[in-house]
Amino acid sequence: MIELTVNGEKRQTDVSPDMPLLWVLRDEFGITGPKYGCGIAQCGACTVHINGVAVRSCQARIGELGGAKVLTIEGLGAQSLHAVQRAWIDHQVPQCGYCQTGQIMQAAALLDKTPKPTDEDIDMAMSGNLCRCGTYVRIRAAIHAAAEKL
Amino acid sequence: MDHITNISRRAFLIGSAALAGGVAFGTWSFAQDAVTDVPNPLLPGLGPNAASFNPWVKISPDKITLITPHADVGQGVASAQAILIAEEMDLDLGQFDTEFGPPSAAYWNTGLVNEFVPFTETDRSPAAEAAREGARKYLKESGLQITGGSSTIPDSYEKLRMAGAVARETLKAAAAKRSGVTLAEIRTQSGQVILPDGTKIPYGQLAAEAAQLPPIQNVTLRAPSQWRLIGKPTERVDIRAKATGALKFGIDQTVDGMVFASVKLNPYKGGALTAFDAGKAGAMPGVKKVLQITNGVAVIASNSWYAMQAVDAVECTWAKGSYPAEQAEHWAAVEASFSPAKVDKEWRNEGDIAAALKDATVIDAEYRAPYVAHQPLEPLNAIAIVRDDAAEIWVGHQMPRIVQSMVATLTGLKPEQVVFHNQWSGGSFGHRLEFENVRTVIEIAKEMRGTPVKVVFSREEDFLQDFPRQIAMARNRGVVRDGKIIAADMHFASASAVRSQFGRLGMPSQGPDTQIPAGIWNMTYAIPNYRATTYAVEGVSPTSSWRSVGASTGGFFAECFIDELIHAAGLDPLKARIAMSTIDVYRKVLEAVGEMSDWKGPLGNGKGRGVAFMEAFGVPIAEVVEVSATDKGIKIDKIWIAAEVGKVVDPVNFENLVQGGVVWGLGHAINCELTYSQGAAQQTNYTSHEGMRMYQCPPIEVRGLENGADIHGIGEPPTAISPPALANAIFAATGRRLREMPFNKSIDFV
Amino acid sequence: MRKALLIALLLAPSAAIPVVMSLAADVTPASEMPATGSIGKTEGLAAWKRVEAVLTHPRCANCHVGPDNIPIWTVAGEKKSRPHGMNIHAGESRIGAETIACSTCHMTSTAPNKLAHAPPHVGLDWQLAPVDFVWYGKSGAEICAQLKDPQRNGGRDATGLVEHLRHDADVNGFIPWAWNPGGGRETPPGTFEDHVKDVAMWGAAGQPCPE
Repeated sequence: MIELTVNGEKRQTDVSPDMPLLWVLRDEFGITGPKYGCGIAQCGACTVHINGVAVRSCQARIGELGGAKVLTIEGLGAQSLHAVQRAWIDHQVPQCGYCQTGQIMQAAALLDKTPKPTDEDIDMAMSGNLCRCGTYVRIRAAIHAAAEKL
Repeated sequence: MDHITNISRRAFLIGSAALAGGVAFGTWSFAQDAVTDVPNPLLPGLGPNAASFNPWVKISPDKITLITPHADVGQGVASAQAILIAEEMDLDLGQFDTEFGPPSAAYWNTGLVNEFVPFTETDRSPAAEAAREGARKYLKESGLQITGGSSTIPDSYEKLRMAGAVARETLKAAAAKRSGVTLAEIRTQSGQVILPDGTKIPYGQLAAEAAQLPPIQNVTLRAPSQWRLIGKPTERVDIRAKATGALKFGIDQTVDGMVFASVKLNPYKGGALTAFDAGKAGAMPGVKKVLQITNGVAVIASNSWYAMQAVDAVECTWAKGSYPAEQAEHWAAVEASFSPAKVDKEWRNEGDIAAALKDATVIDAEYRAPYVAHQPLEPLNAIAIVRDDAAEIWVGHQMPRIVQSMVATLTGLKPEQVVFHNQWSGGSFGHRLEFENVRTVIEIAKEMRGTPVKVVFSREEDFLQDFPRQIAMARNRGVVRDGKIIAADMHFASASAVRSQFGRLGMPSQGPDTQIPAGIWNMTYAIPNYRATTYAVEGVSPTSSWRSVGASTGGFFAECFIDELIHAAGLDPLKARIAMSTIDVYRKVLEAVGEMSDWKGPLGNGKGRGVAFMEAFGVPIAEVVEVSATDKGIKIDKIWIAAEVGKVVDPVNFENLVQGGVVWGLGHAINCELTYSQGAAQQTNYTSHEGMRMYQCPPIEVRGLENGADIHGIGEPPTAISPPALANAIFAATGRRLREMPFNKSIDFV
Repeated sequence: MRKALLIALLLAPSAAIPVVMSLAADVTPASEMPATGSIGKTEGLAAWKRVEAVLTHPRCANCHVGPDNIPIWTVAGEKKSRPHGMNIHAGESRIGAETIACSTCHMTSTAPNKLAHAPPHVGLDWQLAPVDFVWYGKSGAEICAQLKDPQRNGGRDATGLVEHLRHDADVNGFIPWAWNPGGGRETPPGTFEDHVKDVAMWGAAGQPCPE
């Protein structure tokens, strides 16, 4: 039995230790904000925070996460919308939106470390998150806007 | 019947012109034109004290629901459709819910007419109108409910405002009946009917009474000057849920008691499964069952990951599919198609092309465009439950009625016994016009009768089963003399995505494929000797519509070659295009990008600008791309793009969609191709079929023009125009002509 | 200011590793080294050539990059190496602390690397080698001179280099991973054990370098 904390709640699971956190969240815990896009950390749609660091949850084996603190998009804005989420709404960033929960988690992690990122910082931090709809121009603008509010 | 259709079609056209001009506002006989005798599909499921006046509006005492039947695959059409209804219904944002609605012929697509006929938008000749009439009749009688071809806005622009107006007038009539005042004294605002004495009655309180009245069909549409929502930025209905993670896509849905499945199908598409060994897979964690299905196997497990791991471990032996095993053979088939026997159609032949090509130095160039995969980020998935007397399916799809009839055929049920729940989709780009997920989930659910089954394709399986964008080539010839383009002889050979796609549905298409000549049948430059010929390539991979379809290859072939001729004539690429423009409204689009980019000719210092222009999906669209040639490769610095659409319904969503179309077009033109080896796609994840990433994306400045009489969608045109604009920019910066996509085969990119 | 401090903090543990390792009491005994002088220069140079073939192999050199801090990819199925995709810059921290952490994709895990094209992982936190240890794009002679210079090899003598290899194996580190990278990736010549022996022989021969 593996125990971890997800969005402040204690959770347990006894699935195979090889199972990626992504699928435990989605299929075992019913937390579907993190998305399956590629399974090999090429798209970033599954991004969550583990102990404060942005992580591709498709790569994190559940067996190695005992005691970990996991934050998903559902937990990020649970109390009130995070500045990044607010900016995403103001700038109407999403099109299909499938990648956006991962984009938001990655952007929130960037702003934790780099509160006033340049375009260059954003291009470095966010290029692991694919957006097939092509909302990059708005993502960039929304991150700057969120940085202003933080 | 024909007579009535004709009259109403004419009224429709006149109405469009009048509305766009903002002059007159006619009265509409709504039911006859749009719904005819198809019963309102919302009526059977209506709760007590609820009303529905047409297939787009549902009101109960506590809730107003607007039906947005065009699938929302990210392009924002749930919002766009809702805004059109809400505008006339006097609803504010936040006062209504939206639903995708059921499959119904009532939702037949009136906006696709122009995509079915090879006439330019501005052509109102009798032949063009007759062809449109025929297409319209076909679409209506077949009840084709489809999202695609950038047709949602053209289909909805008037129809849904009328639907809103009908609802409004009927609610007013109910209020008039209740209060005894005349209709003329009643107005509506913010979801309420307001009586002359100031009494406000929320729509919901009038629903039961309104349901007893025949819907008021003769309605007057509002003048654009009165619009509160259309043409202004509105918050998309899905944006909040997409920013919080609350929105459930198809892949996120659950049904009580559901089991999880994943599939492995013959990667040599269409070939059979000859044998399999599930010994290892059957013993893996969570596995409940291994099933043989058509062309492959399925594993049913207690979660999706277990199912994917196990199905990957099933050892399969496959039969060959029906197309060449190796990519080189596919190219050979395209090359061999440039022959008189393979002509699909000669679309245009103006002047004396043979004579013009004889007496001067002929410029000729060959272009290539590869297969490309769709691969929206949400992989194929579906949930279904099959019972003896009914079936239910949850899947994001662009052709609801065909899903319904396919499920019926596969289960032996009647279509009316099949309930289809459309879903928010994580992108499509044409992928959700195909059926591999529908077919497989039903085959599995049939074997698991009574148990809901969710199937999720792994990304790799999704790539392997993707029917790609058409492979195509061009062999173009042209002549320039005295600083002018004298002749252009355009020859395109291409697989027919449309024929392949509808052929799989048992709907063989007749006549030449109107997508193959996109960019040349509708080229609007004044070139005295001009010919456009297409060749249909047979016997290659099955293909499917990929964002902008024929224009995604044709735009590149046409606009890069025109650029070559302009260069040979010693002309400025933008000024020459403006000078050759034959349609005023189209010329303004070119002038717009010139002004936006402050075009002044060559830049020098390793920088270059390219321009491209075409009509795609009825939209004249122009783009300027600026690049730098750096020591690490080509860097895209800035993009300006302008399009004429008649009316921009929401400027923010419009800008987003155009920017996205540019990113889609450029990303794939730079680094994506799908190739075959031993019959299977060699690219099975984004590592080798990447598209554009953030750091490669420049600022993209967008302008929507509203000079034209016709209303158009913008989902696809930006994709088609972007590759030629980039290739022409790279030529300007480096002197190198890129004649084959993907461009990174010939040149590095930052 | 905050950024600089953060990098320093994050950099500290990785910089400390070599020091901790060379002081550790439980590392492989020095007896693994052949006796000093037992290996001749010719044999030593031959051993170096084999070491060099390993160190210049993409699997090893790709993360020993210079001050641009950009790791290199040599992707299974591709013909030539290229900068790490996704615009990755590991930063001066060499662990991506400035923008996106290496550990966002590269887990710290002792599980086998099975998936093709998935980010590889080892038992240590993923990182670039310190910038002083650059191998990528350097000649064998340059790398040799660098590797025997304690100023540029983490303060190690010949014995220390062998101990470094053994310790790395004990913690499922980067070095043995090179011969078991998974996912269809190419491996450097020989085996990890061959490499340890060669480094030891080269050391016993007095760390001779090519002219």
